Amino acid sequence: MSGEQFLSVENGLFTAVMVCYLAAMVLYFVFFAMKKENLGKYGSWVITAGFALHTAALVVRGIGAGRLPLTNQYEFATSFAWGICLCFLVFERKYRFRALGTFVTPVIFLIIGYAAMQSREVRELMPALRSNWLAIHVSTAIISYGAFGVSFAVSLMFLMRPSMADKEFWEKHVPGAERLDLISYRAVSLGFLFLSFVIVSGAIWAERAWGSYWSWDPKETWSLVTWIIYALYLHLRLSRGWKGRQAAVFAAVGFVCVLFTYIGVNMLIPSIHSYA
Amino acid sequence: MKCAVGLLLILAAACTMGSLIPQGEAAGYYTQGYPQAAGAILMLGLDDVFHCWWFVALTLFLCVNLLFCNIIHFPSLVRKSRYGFSWERCLKGWDGTALGQTDGEPGKLFAKMGFKKIEKKQTEDGAQVWYGARHKAGIWGPWLCHLGMLTVIAGFGLGQLCQEQYTVYGVPGQTKPVGDTGYELTIDSFDVKLRDDATVEQYTTALTVGMESGGTGAYMSGETSVNRPLSLFGMKFYQNSTGWAAEAEVRKDGEVIQETLLCAGEYAPVEDREGLAVMLNAFYPDYGEDAAGMPRTLSPALRNPAYLYTLYYHDQILGMNVLKNGEKITVDSYEIRFVTPRQYTLIQIKRDPFGWLAAVGGVMVLASLLLAFYIRPEEMWAVRAGDGTWAVSGRSRKSGAMFLESISAACKKMAEEEAGEPAGEERGDGRL
Repeated sequence: MSGEQFLSVENGLFTAVMVCYLAAMVLYFVFFAMKKENLGKYGSWVITAGFALHTAALVVRGIGAGRLPLTNQYEFATSFAWGICLCFLVFERKYRFRALGTFVTPVIFLIIGYAAMQSREVRELMPALRSNWLAIHVSTAIISYGAFGVSFAVSLMFLMRPSMADKEFWEKHVPGAERLDLISYRAVSLGFLFLSFVIVSGAIWAERAWGSYWSWDPKETWSLVTWIIYALYLHLRLSRGWKGRQAAVFAAVGFVCVLFTYIGVNMLIPSIHSYA
Repeated sequence: MKCAVGLLLILAAACTMGSLIPQGEAAGYYTQGYPQAAGAILMLGLDDVFHCWWFVALTLFLCVNLLFCNIIHFPSLVRKSRYGFSWERCLKGWDGTALGQTDGEPGKLFAKMGFKKIEKKQTEDGAQVWYGARHKAGIWGPWLCHLGMLTVIAGFGLGQLCQEQYTVYGVPGQTKPVGDTGYELTIDSFDVKLRDDATVEQYTTALTVGMESGGTGAYMSGETSVNRPLSLFGMKFYQNSTGWAAEAEVRKDGEVIQETLLCAGEYAPVEDREGLAVMLNAFYPDYGEDAAGMPRTLSPALRNPAYLYTLYYHDQILGMNVLKNGEKITVDSYEIRFVTPRQYTLIQIKRDPFGWLAAVGGVMVLASLLLAFYIRPEEMWAVRAGDGTWAVSGRSRKSGAMFLESISAACKKMAEEEAGEPAGEERGDGRL
């Protein structure tokens, strides 16, 4: 198969992935809104299938492009959605609560929708991007952003919990407030650890490529702002016992920063990171 | 603590402003672009946030805060790691509620929960106690994280103060001094590797570095390319940039009287005619024009070269135009041509004696986060009751509820296993 044929297959897989994520979102929503238990199970199956197809799409694109598919807006957006989906599946299985899908799938669909709006053209890499650090830097960013996406969804669930009328359904499908809070904290911890990896690996790479490991570029600066926001969350939690509603609001604000670092900086502020 | 939170919030806000307001521009840029806010931007130093005095002061204040936080907490952490994990303390704070019970000795349960070292003790009233503690190092996570951050900031700050940075640009064959280091750099070759679609795959400069004339010491050579800096004489040589250069050839009465290599943006005075100078503003390797008739290059390949020049006479502009290959500028008996266009290389040279410190700090931060989040200090104990059963409980400083649930689940599972085993079979993996 030629590179173009691989990319054509990837195109088809990407469309199938979008359909799966949309279907999963609808199924989870109906499961949650109409209390149809079976639909939640189907939603879980569909998103797992979507994730498998998504993985295949990324692999096929990587083969077609002859490099890791992590270098432009489209590739990072689709990998970002993949990262959230991966973290969601891990957290859903680890903590066994299906309702999480109702809150995570819209975020995944939003990101994959953003990816669909980007150019899918495969371009050769500029010299600065031809580095092994690219794989480490961007793949850790995907896991970090994915974990923050899950923490955002769990925090939303936490904030909505008191307003839910059907207590019986909630108690059956959603963990208690304390556990939700802990899950959100675990997701933030994972995201924070990987975000720190992102910043450190990015600094090492920047030193090799540009001769300066920190140059206050807007992308670097916003990564630092995001890091500070989550550092405050963790600090307040560990030392001041900040839990519950305050922590959930903080985690949600942190994810808004993540989105701005990724999308806002690219669109609004000139940066040497403008390719990503 | 409150102070650190406040400082971090202010620094985050400052970083946000620094990313939204263009940095390092001339004052006129702000008065034109932000007429309402220019006064405040310039007065508060928001045009160069990351280098202005208050940002540096806030960062130093944060460092002092981190340092004091670590100094204050160090003795209590030492005490905690020495004496904080003990069966007496656990039993003292225990209300007696068991998370699970087991009939046989709880060695198997401890092993299942990942406790390898078990202490077997006896209380004053004769009750047998088994106790295990693990991941004690986890309590040092936040402390080490603070130290790592301090080290990163110290490494970065000292690097900013002490680092030497120079740029040298030129074409192959040229030798230039490396700032005031006493070294000189010769550009041996410069290679631009292009792909079939004319995009650049890599820039590579071969260079030789040694002491300037009159100095002693060996010469060393090597290659530097993007992402592969070269280290020589304690300095790092980075392939930073490139551009076009051409010889400005001056003829008088048909005879060449001057040849000066000009990189785009440079000018050269005509030595034979006082006040006359020519500047090479830009070079177009494959000249074309856009829809508005403005010059541009159609590709990076050297197909149809053209030069944008400005001619000066006593600092007054005599003319500005685009000169194609072979065309000339004539001023009285002087003719000026641009010939032999070629790419120059720009090498950035840096000596940062504290880069390693920032790197060590970064590694410390990562290690500390692993410690803080994934090495969770946990304790578990089992107390034998009068009827011979063992009451099991535990505590965790970071993931209390989940750890207790896992003990509970392990006890339940073990009870089920015990129920399924033939009576009289020896259970557990240790005896008092």
